[in-house]
Amino acid sequence: MSDSYPVPLLEMKHIAKSFFGVQVLDDVSLSVQAGEVLALLGENGAGKSTLIKILNGDYQMDTGVICIDGRAMDFREPRDAEMQGIHMIYQEQHYVPELSVAENLLLGNLPVGTGLIGRLTVDWKKVRAMAYERLQLLNLSLDPTSKMKDLTVVERQIVEIVKALSAEARIIVMDEPTAALTPPEVERLFAIINNLREKGVAIIYISHRLDEVFDIAQRVTVLRDGRHVGTAPIEDVTMASVVDMMVGRTLENHTSTAPLSSAKAVLDVRHFTRYGVFDDVSMTIRAGEIVGIFGLIGSGQISLTQSIFGAEPHDAGQLSMFGRRITIRSPQDAQRAGIGFVPIDRKVNGIVKGQSVRNNITLSNWRNLTRLGFFRQQHEKTHVSQWVDALGIRMAGGSDVPIRFLSGGNQQKAILARWLEANIKVLILNEPTWGVDVGARADIYEQLEKLAQQGLAVLIVSSDIQEILAVSHRILTIYQGRLTGEFARTSATQEQLIAAASGDMV
Amino acid sequence: MTLSTQGQAASGLRRVWASAQDVLALIVMLGLIVLVMGRGSDLFLTSRNITNLLMDSTTVAVIAVFMTMLIISGGLDLSVASTTALCGVIIGAMQDSAGLWQGVMVALLIGGLIGFINGFLVTYVGINPLITTLGMLSIARGLAFVVADGLTIPVIDMTGQQTEAYTTYTQLSEGKIGTIPIPIVFVVGLFIVGLIVLRYTTYGRAVYTIGDNEKAAYLAGLPVKRYRMMTYILCGLGAAIAAVFLTARLYAADPRAAPNIELTVITAVVLGGTSLAGGQGSLIGTLLGVLILSGLLNGLKLQSVSTEMQNITQGIVLLLAVGIDQVRQGKIHLRRPWFMKAKR
Repeated sequence: MSDSYPVPLLEMKHIAKSFFGVQVLDDVSLSVQAGEVLALLGENGAGKSTLIKILNGDYQMDTGVICIDGRAMDFREPRDAEMQGIHMIYQEQHYVPELSVAENLLLGNLPVGTGLIGRLTVDWKKVRAMAYERLQLLNLSLDPTSKMKDLTVVERQIVEIVKALSAEARIIVMDEPTAALTPPEVERLFAIINNLREKGVAIIYISHRLDEVFDIAQRVTVLRDGRHVGTAPIEDVTMASVVDMMVGRTLENHTSTAPLSSAKAVLDVRHFTRYGVFDDVSMTIRAGEIVGIFGLIGSGQISLTQSIFGAEPHDAGQLSMFGRRITIRSPQDAQRAGIGFVPIDRKVNGIVKGQSVRNNITLSNWRNLTRLGFFRQQHEKTHVSQWVDALGIRMAGGSDVPIRFLSGGNQQKAILARWLEANIKVLILNEPTWGVDVGARADIYEQLEKLAQQGLAVLIVSSDIQEILAVSHRILTIYQGRLTGEFARTSATQEQLIAAASGDMV
Repeated sequence: MTLSTQGQAASGLRRVWASAQDVLALIVMLGLIVLVMGRGSDLFLTSRNITNLLMDSTTVAVIAVFMTMLIISGGLDLSVASTTALCGVIIGAMQDSAGLWQGVMVALLIGGLIGFINGFLVTYVGINPLITTLGMLSIARGLAFVVADGLTIPVIDMTGQQTEAYTTYTQLSEGKIGTIPIPIVFVVGLFIVGLIVLRYTTYGRAVYTIGDNEKAAYLAGLPVKRYRMMTYILCGLGAAIAAVFLTARLYAADPRAAPNIELTVITAVVLGGTSLAGGQGSLIGTLLGVLILSGLLNGLKLQSVSTEMQNITQGIVLLLAVGIDQVRQGKIHLRRPWFMKAKR
């Protein structure tokens, strides 16, 4: 296909950018043709998002050229990029939840009626007609009058894509578009992407899910540590070779060792119920055991763990630790009882973004690091540097740096460190590797295994079946708030798990 | 991000420089005010005027210390000026019946209580801080008039029986340590203690953490509500402490005292770089903010600018400071001016 286009639609050549003296991008180039999907791959912190932000005019490059149709561009701000038909679809979406699909599509551009008074009012009939027409561009059956907040994540994403199309986007950048999607929704998205390709739109596709990349992309460009590692047609690479390029070393295929049998029960959950959310959940987690809860998004698993941790109420059920009944009414109670909690959505619930890495790591263990309300500075520093070394937290500028400057994987490691520092007995993790790159992901799995061997009881909630199969010793499936199955990792198959998590009783 | 030891050192220096820049900008601003006001009036730079200026700013400065912590934690208190007036008239009303210092004690308790009520309504009832403290602003001011019966109460020894109590109390405005008046020494001490608390204690770190991300703090097991209550209680207490000094300086308790002081306090705090969005701010900035604002208003007064114009100026400074904060938070996007064009 690329042969028929002598000049690529978009070329970014020799881009360099540094922040605070740290070189984030160094001589990075990429190009994409009309009607092509280019996968942009790299670990978090490899420079993907900086590159994209330069393309979008959010940041200015230090050196380099951006060409569209072979003409050099000068993007000072997002508006400049938009005028050239560049459109971003971010993981975090921007929409007005209370307004309808039609209104969101035409936002800022609503058609008005005619006549003296009509000109002051919105022509709603026309709004619906225009919205319908635009949705038809992609053969979508979406009701333009339904409210944004009532749509599923994929439907909202589709609205974003339609918005991009109606803005006559020629280049669409998708940043982790499938992070929150279920497999059938991913297929739906891919159908739309293929439709876009036929219309001659160029797509830059960023994802951590490599299997998807092989389904949808024609070429891959890999970045590592701010440098361009390589670009290749998708036929010429394998999953393993791409990972090697991203990580710069060969990763062992992670599988955890056999669970300890008959270890003592650490956390015991009995008949935990919250009406309409989860129902009669009972489970036991033993010392040294990693229990995975697998379920599709929205099956009640997140509320379940939040309730166990005391962040949400429950209507019935009991908890015990080491055989003794405990009452947990708040996260503070849970923390005192020795339960740690890695929340879903690290940026919103996990990190305190303006505070230093150090303060973030010690946040749950003030009692042991202070005397009469004063921090024992040296003591605290020693503790922190231990965790930084143990977990391999990578950061530029030491632990005084605000945590927001760290990559997603390193932020997640810092949150893990926060709870390990608090000397917990049970660790609950919710979707611990969302938005975490391959390398850091492997580090986290390895760490969990090590912690389990030291006797920690681990409960991990994930909608990523590969993750569940890679780390768990024992797998529970959840469907509509009820546990539907229990599997030993050694005997579980993907098909069985998905069936159990979709409500097909086996 | 790419790592190199060189990069680390550079980024560390850059960060120190970036934070020093804000303080530097404030110092330059203060210098400009001194320069302009000094040229405008020969009286401005006299030691008498400077002392007066500092003494006058005591009320604002004391409250500003507590307001800074409150705003960093994501709160706000509009009721401080009314609380100061109420606590003042409590001292005035109790001096004869219960004794002057007993009155001071009760005033401090009432200040803390008002803070407690504010904090309770915000934290446990979930009313917006702006509305809560706006209501309290009206309540406390009203109570002040009720307690004082609408009159200004002289706080001087009229019975002749409590002379010692009054002599000590007068020291709070007339007394000096060396050559420096006691209120100024107290304010400096308060700022130093505040700096230490914010930097080295759990309370200080909680204030920043909760202001930055309350949800994350809660999920990390921090007793968020208790800390939030604390910030409001301390703010009410701060208003009461200010009342003790103000009453001593005026030799009187006036239910009309400290008019619009909450505006001056908040302006000084925001001018000093504390973000209304929470999570960021410093007492050094606040101190400079107080000095800049006091210098500005005092200078205008010396040049016979009317109170109305002073009020207008103060309002403009507040809006400017908040505007600058919005830019720094990245909530509005400014086009680069021509002289700051991007490097190619």
